[in-house]
Amino acid sequence: MLRKQPISVILAAGWLAILLFFALFGPFLPIPDTLYSFEDSLSVGIFSQGHILGTDSNGYDMFAQLVEGSRYSLLIAGISVTIGALIGSIVGILGAFKQGIFDRIANALFSVVLSIPNLLLSITLIAVFGTSPDPSNPVPPSRRLIVVIVSLTIVIVPILGRIARSTAISWSNRDFVTAARSMGMTDRQIIVRHIVPNVMPALMAIAFLAIGVVIVAEGSLSLLGAGIGEKTTWGSMIARGRSDIEYYPHILFVPIVAVALTVISCNRLGDQVRRNLDPREARL
Amino acid sequence: MSTLLSLRNLSVQFDTVRGRLNAVKEISLDIESGESVGIVGESGSGKSVLSRAAMGILHGGNVHKSGDITFDGNLLSSLSAQELREFWGTGMAMIFQDPMTSLNPVRKIGTQIGEALRIRLGMSKNDANKKSAELLRLVRVPDPDATLNKYPFQLSGGLRQRVMIAIALACDPKLLFADEPTTALDVTVQAQILELLDDLRKSLNMSMVLVTHDLGVVAGHTDRVIVMYAGEVVESAKTTDLFANMRMPYTEALFKSIPTLDTPTGTRLPTIEGRVPDPTQDNPGCSFASRCSYVQEKCRTEHPPLTSDSNDHHYRCWFPIQVRSTL
Amino acid sequence: MAGTGNAHLRGEGMVLRANDINVEFKIGDKKVVKAVSGVSIDIAKGETLAVVGESGCGKSSLGKALLQLPKPTSGSVILNDVDITALHGEKLRAVRPQMQMIFQDPISSLDPRMTVRRIIEQPLKVWSDLDEQGRASRVDELLDSVGLDPAVVGSRRPYEFSGGQCQRISIARALALNPSMLICDEPVSALDVSVQAQILNLLQDMKDKFELTMMFISHDLGVVKTVSDRVMVMYLGKICEIASPDTLYKTPRHHYTHALVGSVPVADPTKKSLRSVIQGEPPSPMNPPSGCRFRTRCPAATDLCATEEPQLREMGGGNYVACHHPRA
Repeated sequence: MLRKQPISVILAAGWLAILLFFALFGPFLPIPDTLYSFEDSLSVGIFSQGHILGTDSNGYDMFAQLVEGSRYSLLIAGISVTIGALIGSIVGILGAFKQGIFDRIANALFSVVLSIPNLLLSITLIAVFGTSPDPSNPVPPSRRLIVVIVSLTIVIVPILGRIARSTAISWSNRDFVTAARSMGMTDRQIIVRHIVPNVMPALMAIAFLAIGVVIVAEGSLSLLGAGIGEKTTWGSMIARGRSDIEYYPHILFVPIVAVALTVISCNRLGDQVRRNLDPREARL
Repeated sequence: MSTLLSLRNLSVQFDTVRGRLNAVKEISLDIESGESVGIVGESGSGKSVLSRAAMGILHGGNVHKSGDITFDGNLLSSLSAQELREFWGTGMAMIFQDPMTSLNPVRKIGTQIGEALRIRLGMSKNDANKKSAELLRLVRVPDPDATLNKYPFQLSGGLRQRVMIAIALACDPKLLFADEPTTALDVTVQAQILELLDDLRKSLNMSMVLVTHDLGVVAGHTDRVIVMYAGEVVESAKTTDLFANMRMPYTEALFKSIPTLDTPTGTRLPTIEGRVPDPTQDNPGCSFASRCSYVQEKCRTEHPPLTSDSNDHHYRCWFPIQVRSTL
Repeated sequence: MAGTGNAHLRGEGMVLRANDINVEFKIGDKKVVKAVSGVSIDIAKGETLAVVGESGCGKSSLGKALLQLPKPTSGSVILNDVDITALHGEKLRAVRPQMQMIFQDPISSLDPRMTVRRIIEQPLKVWSDLDEQGRASRVDELLDSVGLDPAVVGSRRPYEFSGGQCQRISIARALALNPSMLICDEPVSALDVSVQAQILNLLQDMKDKFELTMMFISHDLGVVKTVSDRVMVMYLGKICEIASPDTLYKTPRHHYTHALVGSVPVADPTKKSLRSVIQGEPPSPMNPPSGCRFRTRCPAATDLCATEEPQLREMGGGNYVACHHPRA
């Protein structure tokens, strides 16, 4: 199966594989600590001596930041999309299949969350649960991280949930579902054996896209100061590098290119996943 | 009668995931003005591709067309898309199978009929409206003026089909392609539509190519029948001659497998075993050989040419069924 | 026209008996579509009842109502002497295997993500006590009986097959639990003519082999003629006429049946096709005409037809017509 993929898919998968490598093995790589300030080489550019991607205005090595950023960006995006997809699809599929009150509740839930502007929702949650009023007793970074992940998950749930719901509705109307009912299958059996496997491909494809979206969303949060704080993410790199754009554009350039490549790769893979999993595309 | 449409060695191939697909293989035929020709075939025979190719409306970079198409003296195959457009509507027109999807659901009926009139004939809005109402009367739509203001979803399948016929006739075409026009309709509505097409054809002196899988439909509404199988013409004759003297085993097998109202209850129908050959593969010999009950060795190795007898009855078979004694 | 009426119902010993079935759908807030109105039928063991009519006549809705998918708005269905309309939940599920359905669209009848083997195994997994081995051999048996080679077909998916083959798979699935009754909803309408014959023959074979009782829904009069013992004609949710196929087609007594039979294209150019015997469009099922529903298009309609709904009555030889002025 790997042989036959188009070149763009191989490149996309390759990029994401590199990121995964960074994310998993970052701390073990022989790269400087992200918070170690190379005071002699502040804001040096790409391909400088000892710093392949340069340093930022605080002297922190860009490559190290990139690696650590990949860790947290992927972590946040991965967890929030996975959990969001799970919750969204359960609610959406149940509502679609059972109809009636189930569907009304599902729809209402989705609509309510969707009607609140994403960013505001996230910032509010982070402000309420992720900060403490007492500056001498700050919120531990782990809790902050969890709050950020939860707030992004809440945003993802209705988006993926709606897709799961509409896909499930169209599958529920197919004759083979009627046949399954006429065989005496319970609703649970039908949902598990027939609906879920058919909804999965569309959902997985969109989930890949969602990863890209969440990475960018996290970037926005960091930009607004509502990021995860201490640890580096690409968003926080962009936030920190904003003001340097005039003289040291590479400081902004590096994280932006990383985000862009990741989003493009996610989109490409998502598209390919959909194509491969959809049996109809496989024929004439 | 003059020859209105002439196809010479028309071939159509598609590039697909599975390879090059031969949909239509070197077809030559003529349609005279004023005559009604039926093209009969099952799915995969190439009949729909043929009519679309003849009109020149096949699109896509994966389409390969070759051969000559001459309409009313003009060699269409050498024309650009721009020049071809001159013939659509005024020379040739087409009506399609599915009335649900052939009309634009978000535009009113009057707009859709009027569009052809205004763009092709340059009519003003008022004139177009008047002519549209006239056309609806022509196709026997009850209450034409009210219908002009309706949307397709407000009409039944039969009415939508009539609207489609009205649109096709708007610019007085000389040749009408009807691609399975009644397959999606109820049988009583089908009878009405076929009768309408017959009447219109006679009163407007229009030629018609009726593409269908239903031998019953061609029996009652065509002057000549062409039978297609696997992209080729396998038999063609005057309608009465075809049904009286089927020469091609495929035609006979097709005819016999149709249950009719006279078939006694509980009979097992004769079937055609096997499947249509893969259009992406080149098969030596006759394309029907693998399913023919009269098959002989020659059929498998040599491809039969189209031969004809004195009655202008053409068939593509090495061992055609013998002519039954005429009454 | 077709009215309610029980004159055509026979006594005991029927596999299926449906009493006064009504199927109504709500569209939007106020409009109600009366798909089936007051239809009663019965089918004897081993018999095939064909239900014919054009779109909107309610034949498909009737079929689904018999299967309780969904339950009819009112009326009762008695299958093998059990009133299944009164059953719910587990009890209803338990009787479902006795009545199975074959659908019109061969492709959408099968789960595109499952292999053929798994598709046919489903009913066995739900109900039978067989172990994996036992199920596998039963699946092989079923595939053989519908003319498919299990070794070739088993691990493939529906999109790899033609319409005819998909219908065979559907039939195999339907027979897995040995139903006493099979409802076929336009099973050959989506197939090519040459394939239709194969599937019709197969259904006949299955019926003989497994002693099935069948209800065959179709709009194609020719198809119906070869498979059925009795034919029932429906129009706008009501029954017009019930008779044996020969009687119905040679001497239709109801004016709608006559028009229907007359509209079928005959594959014989020497027989001049009749001028279409019926004009106009069928009325909307949301607002059916009073009295006889066919009267707006009937050449023999009188005032009586508008005020009084005709009931089915016997015309002799098993022919029942719901008409005030049947054809002679």
